[in-house]
Amino acid sequence: MSEQAPETGAAPAEQPREERRARPGGNGVILEVADIHTYYGSIHALKGITLEVREGEIVTLIGANGAGKSTTLRSINGLNHPRRGAIRFQGKDITNEAPHRIVGMGVAQSPEGRKLFPRMSVLENLEMGAFQRTDRGGVREDLDRVYGLFPRLNERKSQKAGTLSGGEQQMVAMGRALMARPKLLMLDEPSMGLAPIFVERIFDIVREINKQGTPILLVEQNALMALDVASRGYVMETGHIALTDDAKVLARNEQVRKTYLGEE
Amino acid sequence: MSVEAGRERPSPLDALRRGGGPGPVAVVGVIVLVLVVAALIHNFVEAPQAFINVSLIGLSTGAVYALVALGYTLVYGILQLINFAHGDVFALSGLISSSIMIDVLHLSGGETAVVIVAGLAATLAMTMAGAATLNASIEFLAYRRLRGQPRLTMLISAVGMSFIVQNIALAIYDVNYQSAPPLLPSGAVFTVGNVSLQWDKLTVILVTIPVLILLTWLVRATKQGKAMRATAQDQDAAAMMGINVNRTITFTFVLAGALAGAAGVLFLLQFQMRYDTGFELGLIAFTAAVLGGIGNLAGAALGGLLIGFIQAYNEGLAHWTLGGDWTRSMVFGILIAILVFRPEGLLGERTPEGV
Repeated sequence: MSEQAPETGAAPAEQPREERRARPGGNGVILEVADIHTYYGSIHALKGITLEVREGEIVTLIGANGAGKSTTLRSINGLNHPRRGAIRFQGKDITNEAPHRIVGMGVAQSPEGRKLFPRMSVLENLEMGAFQRTDRGGVREDLDRVYGLFPRLNERKSQKAGTLSGGEQQMVAMGRALMARPKLLMLDEPSMGLAPIFVERIFDIVREINKQGTPILLVEQNALMALDVASRGYVMETGHIALTDDAKVLARNEQVRKTYLGEE
Repeated sequence: MSVEAGRERPSPLDALRRGGGPGPVAVVGVIVLVLVVAALIHNFVEAPQAFINVSLIGLSTGAVYALVALGYTLVYGILQLINFAHGDVFALSGLISSSIMIDVLHLSGGETAVVIVAGLAATLAMTMAGAATLNASIEFLAYRRLRGQPRLTMLISAVGMSFIVQNIALAIYDVNYQSAPPLLPSGAVFTVGNVSLQWDKLTVILVTIPVLILLTWLVRATKQGKAMRATAQDQDAAAMMGINVNRTITFTFVLAGALAGAAGVLFLLQFQMRYDTGFELGLIAFTAAVLGGIGNLAGAALGGLLIGFIQAYNEGLAHWTLGGDWTRSMVFGILIAILVFRPEGLLGERTPEGV
């Protein structure tokens, strides 16, 4: 043992150090956002956001409209690069990486407002999610898995996505993200504009996806529901992280109630 | 389910309730259409063979319009940009193809059939490659950086590129008209009665059909085509699917440029060209794209052919036509009428979310 130690330390010099930094305390940090500042034109939208997502977790990002939740996701997925700070995914720096490369590394997203391809069928939309994959068998399996989670999509697979109801469109958006077989799934406002019964079902499915092994970063305005499924949460306020804690603790926090209700 | 069915059924009822009958615009439209059809029938009955000859002219000019219109519609579909430089790319590539034929390949028309066919194929390939490169460069230089800006910004940049490309053509070729060497026999391929198919028309048809089939296959069946359709519908969503949006847009400009290059060669085989030929032809092709439904590929092809026929019938038929002086007024009258009364074009669909 004493002889081997310096050898292993010398050979892959850089890599293990990177790994160790990415996984402090062996917690398996998969996504690490470190003090990012992101701008929309000249508007300073994110003023130093720091957060992390670990293997197996559901982490939620809550806060009022315009707090910068979606901008945070756009910084992570490469659509709006931060000017300062760093984003690491599985230890690799992706701060200024192009969006399609970030998807290739395993970050998939169901965006705010769903952003389906309205003139493509449900099936074509789902297939777009697997755009970069070449393992046909695996894609087929994942399609069955998505149909298993959302039986409704199987019934509607040849219907144009633009003609679906809001709840069904949300299912397509989530299914489409899953078709990438992501290592990290980002969900932006999955409950927005849905009837309460649909909201319940969407959150059940979020739980189910996570149970199958995918870590989730969940952006929500519906803070109470989000904190109910998440293990940890971050509360955003106008470009800052105002508060972070275990989801259960946050759910009881006075300040969170205020933020959630929009009281000042 | 019953709710769904109920939602779809009322539409014809709605139409009845709303209008109670066709509006004055529809009446005028129907009258014009009836007059046009009557004129065509009259001409066909009076001189069937001349009618068919004129139709063949319409088909071959229409094919060129269709190829150029497809370039407008491809780019519009993906960037919502009217690429004003497109007509000038067409003209410059036609001019360059004359240089390729005369100065590079030294074709003069006296060669054997095999050499001429090979020479034409080589000219077509080189011109399409050159025009594709030019068009992709225009996107890279003049449009890429403006993508996040208001649409007008890119439009003005496109007008600027139009002038630049046109002036490059002027600098190289001066104000002189260029033409292709007499490669194709001037006679007819075959003649039945007074109906004859000229060699240049046959060439246009023989080139256009495989090009259209290839284009359809590229857009419908390939991964790159899928990426194009997705990017056209939602650029951000396409990026989130892992599509390289920049590469997809470049690919679109490459396709549009190659089509303009093919159109340039085919036009040069039939007519003379100079630096400003692309201005008017570009406008006509743009009209064709709008007529068919901008963004819609089949629509651009249909619109191009229709305008080709309209022009040929108006200029070539003997009875009940306005004559060649009115062609431009008719074509741009169609543009205005379409923009006012049916902006989505003949084949375009009204998209539910205005996408």
